[in-house]
Amino acid sequence: MIRINRRKLITTSAVLAIAALTVATVPAQALNPSMGSDPGITASSIKLGITSPLTGIASPGYNKIPGAMKAYFDYVNTNGGVNGRKITLVSKDDQYIPTTAVAKANELILRDKVFALVGTLGTASTKALTASTQLSQRGIPSLFVNTGFSGFADKKAYPTTFSILPSYQMEAKIMAKYVKETYAGKKIALIYQDDDFGRDALAGFKTAGLTFDTYIPYASGSQSLPATGAGWISKLKTAGTEVTVLFGVSSASTAALANAYGAGFKTQWVLGSVGGDATTIAATNKAYVPLLYGAKGFSFAPAPTDTTDEYIKLFQTIYAAAQPTQTFDNNVVAGMSNAFLAVQALKAAGANLTRAGLIKVIETKGSTFASPFLTPLGYSATAHIGATGYWVGTYGPTGALTPDGGKYTVYTTDSGTGPVVLSTYTRPAMPAKGL
Amino acid sequence: MLKKHPLLTFIFFGFVLFLISNRLDELRVYQGATVAIYAIGISSLILLIGYSGQVSLGHGALLAIGGYAAALARIHYNAPVWLTFVVAVLAAAAGGALLGLAAARLSGPYLAGSTLALAIGLPSIANQFPILGGEQGLFFDIGLPPASLGADFTQYKWFFWICWSVALIALYWLRNVMNSRYGRSWRAVRSHDVAAELAGIHVGRNKVLAFTISAGLAGLAGALLAMTISLVSPGVFPLALSFSLATGAVLSGVTTLGGVMIGSVALVAIPEFALAIANRYGSETITTNLPGLLVSALLILTVLFVPNGPVEQLRAKRGKNEHPVKKK
Repeated sequence: MIRINRRKLITTSAVLAIAALTVATVPAQALNPSMGSDPGITASSIKLGITSPLTGIASPGYNKIPGAMKAYFDYVNTNGGVNGRKITLVSKDDQYIPTTAVAKANELILRDKVFALVGTLGTASTKALTASTQLSQRGIPSLFVNTGFSGFADKKAYPTTFSILPSYQMEAKIMAKYVKETYAGKKIALIYQDDDFGRDALAGFKTAGLTFDTYIPYASGSQSLPATGAGWISKLKTAGTEVTVLFGVSSASTAALANAYGAGFKTQWVLGSVGGDATTIAATNKAYVPLLYGAKGFSFAPAPTDTTDEYIKLFQTIYAAAQPTQTFDNNVVAGMSNAFLAVQALKAAGANLTRAGLIKVIETKGSTFASPFLTPLGYSATAHIGATGYWVGTYGPTGALTPDGGKYTVYTTDSGTGPVVLSTYTRPAMPAKGL
Repeated sequence: MLKKHPLLTFIFFGFVLFLISNRLDELRVYQGATVAIYAIGISSLILLIGYSGQVSLGHGALLAIGGYAAALARIHYNAPVWLTFVVAVLAAAAGGALLGLAAARLSGPYLAGSTLALAIGLPSIANQFPILGGEQGLFFDIGLPPASLGADFTQYKWFFWICWSVALIALYWLRNVMNSRYGRSWRAVRSHDVAAELAGIHVGRNKVLAFTISAGLAGLAGALLAMTISLVSPGVFPLALSFSLATGAVLSGVTTLGGVMIGSVALVAIPEFALAIANRYGSETITTNLPGLLVSALLILTVLFVPNGPVEQLRAKRGKNEHPVKKK
């Protein structure tokens, strides 16, 4: 018995010794990924990747974003590309599920070997994929994420991620100023999504000193349950609410508006920019769109119906040629603005394109990039925030948001304790041909 | 070699894997780590189904317990990585022991049904308690690989090494347990519980013990899974995960540990096939649903044509079938 064990011991240690020797002689990996040119670029091409909900509950409306981006990139490509490079966009479907987004981002980075991510959508998905694929350690730029979570603008926490939307804190502060000035003395309620998205707004309302008479939090996902919306309305009724601020996703707006209508309950709705999307509401039920009529809403891009705007005019032309069967709405504007800004950044990074160089140029020159937005861009060496303000408007019977008083009155602020002020920004003219 | 020198075989296998990890690109290394995780998850099911005769369709829930326990230990107590795995095993084993007490009193479809309910219900508990991070979940960050491994050493290779070291140790240990007196008792219980009881084996106690050990292994797999995607949330442990593991176990053959690699490699390879098919014939949107279809189809085919799994089938052909499962 002992003998066998000793023999075993000897063989085991012999194998281990051989193993150790081989390990020592195994050459270090010949290929060092940090040397030479970055993945996803050649002399004639740039490969970008996006993961977003193309199917699933959150997809209506949002699923137009990758198509809109592609339309703009193709327009740029036919006009010679960026510094001689044509842009291809690889689009993946994550169904708005964070773990799927992680898997898809992994595919984009490891299999498709994209140069950068662009326009990933959703706070939870973006947080998960950024952490899991270690974008910052790998130095992979994540351009213009489609979420207003203020954390993404924090360069320390997300060194390679850039926001494009104003933060939810900014939005909440601007909403708070508007609500306090317009509805002083009324009974006000807040319905909000109980996660980082909604809590970000909650922090903004608190900073701005707006307290509500009633708070109604809901768990993400629960808004689609039949009883949820009815529950909100009965709470609002009991509290005698006159003005209801809703900071949630579109399906929450649908639940709230439809149930209020069904119960014959009248209130002045003030909708956050995420939840006030008529296209998304129409995808649930076209009959719900007129319920938006009279509600207050917020935006930072020109209205999609505003054909006097040079960007909107160009985007409409490009989109009509690329996607003739789709309607042009704010999701399309969002996607095309996203692609537009990405092109501005790639152009500014110059012919000698690297990941580090791209990040650097957005930090140093990003605030001067041309953009369709009606607010200044906030990019700097310390903050990775895009648009920095909102204008207030009213929804018409077709769900179109038009600015109050017939012109865009833009308020701007920061994600901290700074005041909300009237913006003096005038948007520079669009570059020739919108390139 | 496996029969005579199991330890050597495991060490040799580990060494081969180590060499492989230096030659593969990052995506394959990442998938390799996933294979190790599935191997642990599937072997825990094989122990349960093939050796103790109990069924679990809700193993995802036990993985979830392990994943959450590991993440909480890391976040709140800054536990070192190896300790988070220990915590995961203990937490899941405790959960498994409780479940096992109930499971020992159930059998067949009733047991399958109650474990299924657990898989559906348990992950959504995370939405009820803020400490569990709700739908968004918690981050589980084990930090960068040690600097001594060199600047080229990627995070995924680090995951690969951790997953396979843990998997090989776990499988070696499990192999020994299954060949021990406990393993024999479990097989006796599975084959004929009355006969086992007459032979002096405490049926209930043995069933609970098997369930507990199986749950501990599942918890370990859960912690590794959470580690490789840096996240625990209800979405990480969907019902589909439980079904995948059960399918993996059937593909591997539930009566022997020998085929465990077949099932785990298949589970990782199927989405790859799906992607290749989708790229050729369809759009991105079908890649999301195609793997599920392929997994189910493979499950049905296996049950129809090789009910005891490919390894057992080969042994039967060579006339060395050691523990045949009675067809009912």
